[in-house]
Amino acid sequence: MRFVLILLMAVAGFARAAEPDLLEPDKAFRFGARLKDAGSIEVRYEIAPGYYMYRDKFQFALAPAGAKLGAAQLPAGKKHRDEFFGEVETFRGSLSIVLPFELADSSVPAMQLTVVSQGCADIGVCYVPHEQKAELRLASLSSDAASGLFSGAGSSADDTLIARVFEGGFWLVILSFFGFGLLLAFTPCVLPMVPILSSVIVGARQPMTKSRGFGLAIVYVLGMAVTYAIAGIAAGLSGAMLAVALQNPWVLGAFAMVFVALALAMFGVYELQLPVALQYRLANASNRFQGGHTLGVFVMGVLSALILGPCVAAPLAGALLYIGQSRDVMLGGSALFAMALGMGVPLLAVGASAGALLPKAGPWMETVKRGFGMVLLGMAIYLVSPFLPVSVQMLAWAALLIVTAITLRAIDRLPPNAHGFQRFSKGLGIIALLAGLAYLVGALSGGRDVLQPLSGLRVTDSGHAAGETPFERVNTVAELDARVRAAAGRTVMLDFYADWCVSCKEMERYTFSDSRVRARLSEMVLLQADVTANTVDHAALLKRFRLFGPPGIIFFDRDGREIPGLRVIGFQAADRFVAVLDQALAFRR
Amino acid sequence: MKTRTFAVFAIVAGLSAAGGVAYYLHSPGGGAGMDAGEVVGRVLAAPLADIKGGSQRIGQWRGRVLVINYWATWCAPCREEIPMFVRLQERYGDRGLQFVGIAIDQPGKVAEFAAEFSVNYPLLIAGVDSLELLRQAGNRAGVLPYTLVIDRKGNLVSREPGGLKEARLERLLQPLL
Repeated sequence: MRFVLILLMAVAGFARAAEPDLLEPDKAFRFGARLKDAGSIEVRYEIAPGYYMYRDKFQFALAPAGAKLGAAQLPAGKKHRDEFFGEVETFRGSLSIVLPFELADSSVPAMQLTVVSQGCADIGVCYVPHEQKAELRLASLSSDAASGLFSGAGSSADDTLIARVFEGGFWLVILSFFGFGLLLAFTPCVLPMVPILSSVIVGARQPMTKSRGFGLAIVYVLGMAVTYAIAGIAAGLSGAMLAVALQNPWVLGAFAMVFVALALAMFGVYELQLPVALQYRLANASNRFQGGHTLGVFVMGVLSALILGPCVAAPLAGALLYIGQSRDVMLGGSALFAMALGMGVPLLAVGASAGALLPKAGPWMETVKRGFGMVLLGMAIYLVSPFLPVSVQMLAWAALLIVTAITLRAIDRLPPNAHGFQRFSKGLGIIALLAGLAYLVGALSGGRDVLQPLSGLRVTDSGHAAGETPFERVNTVAELDARVRAAAGRTVMLDFYADWCVSCKEMERYTFSDSRVRARLSEMVLLQADVTANTVDHAALLKRFRLFGPPGIIFFDRDGREIPGLRVIGFQAADRFVAVLDQALAFRR
Repeated sequence: MKTRTFAVFAIVAGLSAAGGVAYYLHSPGGGAGMDAGEVVGRVLAAPLADIKGGSQRIGQWRGRVLVINYWATWCAPCREEIPMFVRLQERYGDRGLQFVGIAIDQPGKVAEFAAEFSVNYPLLIAGVDSLELLRQAGNRAGVLPYTLVIDRKGNLVSREPGGLKEARLERLLQPLL
């Protein structure tokens, strides 16, 4: 275990050493421009923390010749004394400049804006005057001025909310991520970690005090947080599909086994404890220092973070994208660390209440433990489900539900004077029993849909079985280019998919099946890159779009160029997706 | 349990190491660009304006130990090291050391600066094409200050992005003088 920790530190150290001290100017001074209205352009800069730009060094130029720029309206900068120039004004953070312009010829379709700027970094270097260009489409003004898209120099693909968050100050970013983690804590991804932590704490031999429970919870959460920070940095630096690495059947299978083992302990099959010899040595050790158990808890935290990583991959994608692009490893790592801390808050509550939330003994405690055990088994099935045939998954769910029902005394007769709780749990038990039976029947009758176990029984199935969305498969960058070219004149949607990608499947099942979505999709050329196999070609495809893995939906306009600002990362319900599709279809350069 | 733990960490560690190495290989100055000889040849041959309106080539100082410093008057960190350059030029000038400043700036400002800080070595003005050369010389991000150290035979001894400390520059120069 100690070796593992040393390894971790070495990894972190290496990541730091390989990190450059300086951003490329395009990343230090992120540039975007849009038409604000018929007579002015808005230029925006997002200046990375630790960098600044000179107010009096901007130069603007507009082409074609018929377009004339008025005086640029720059906000007041921060003044400071310069020994050579006297008073100098500089900008930090977000900067918005308004450029009035006049256009002699109204038939011009687009203008090209060139901005030359000068800036420096606090670490003691400046950049040579830097030129950035943007194309401003006058047509876009008439169609939808309100949502005018910023067109930037290459790196404007950070459309996700999370990437936007990064443009705030350092502490704002950290705070946002903490809140974000807090929200994630209540998703099915993270809630199952509560019983694991409880089992770890309940499994501890020493009498559990509140402070010790809280301490262990902190250690566990720190384990999680450190892992997230490192994994985020690693993914950012390598640009690799970290989620894929973790979605290997062996890794997931191993974790499922761990869950099963923990569940069995919850059912009281055996006591969760270490071999006697080891226990003796640990007890000796912990008399001297508070080490042994704490380290185990830390490692549990690390492990659970690794399991959950793929589960929260979609919301992470934006953050990882940003880290990968900006190479701002410090900020990225800290943000993910804060997010994990947010995710850990409910766990801390459980830990702190070691005495309260988890009663010490009695039948109530047994029920709670059995409930946790069931959740753990459910997690285990969920984890390996991408690799199991549907019928096997259904059998597994059937077994779990029926056993749960029996434990809830679904078929035991209620005593005449049964109190509310007994009646309630019998009710739950009967629901579980019926659902379990449905799965059993479904599995045996060749059902093919885990969410509709009995669908295999339907005799004829008109209407609904309208079939899957008719995607054409693309596997390589060359294939993609060819298809996009061939689609000239039509809008193209490219969907990144993988068998293990849960939100991709949700998208398919709930969103693509919506009739409004279907109507709009029928007007587009639909391409799908199934990157389940994760070949070199697949990696190249993902890299081209700066994605770390599915989910990811990308739109191309009628000329075959990606529509900026319109990516869909993660699950999106039909209502919102319809709006995105409308924008994609209406998009004109 | 222990071996599985290890396997997972091995994956993470491997990815991160691979990423780090890949990044290092692609990072600015990490081997990209022209080879050193070509860089020196082109830097020495490029015609540059001086502050009096004439044209100069750095090649005229070939045979001396050259410290070529890219800078600008508006670049505070650049200005900070110039008094140190002046000092070293004075100390080692007769042992064959030659500083040359290339300013990414307006000639008027440079002349003003040279007078105010009594710069005792030639200051030239960079045009647009020498910016391109600066990038090809391994300074892809276009960082200032940026300093090249070239020995008497015309070999590129060091490229130094960012501010230089006197001790470091002395250490670089001593064996060459």
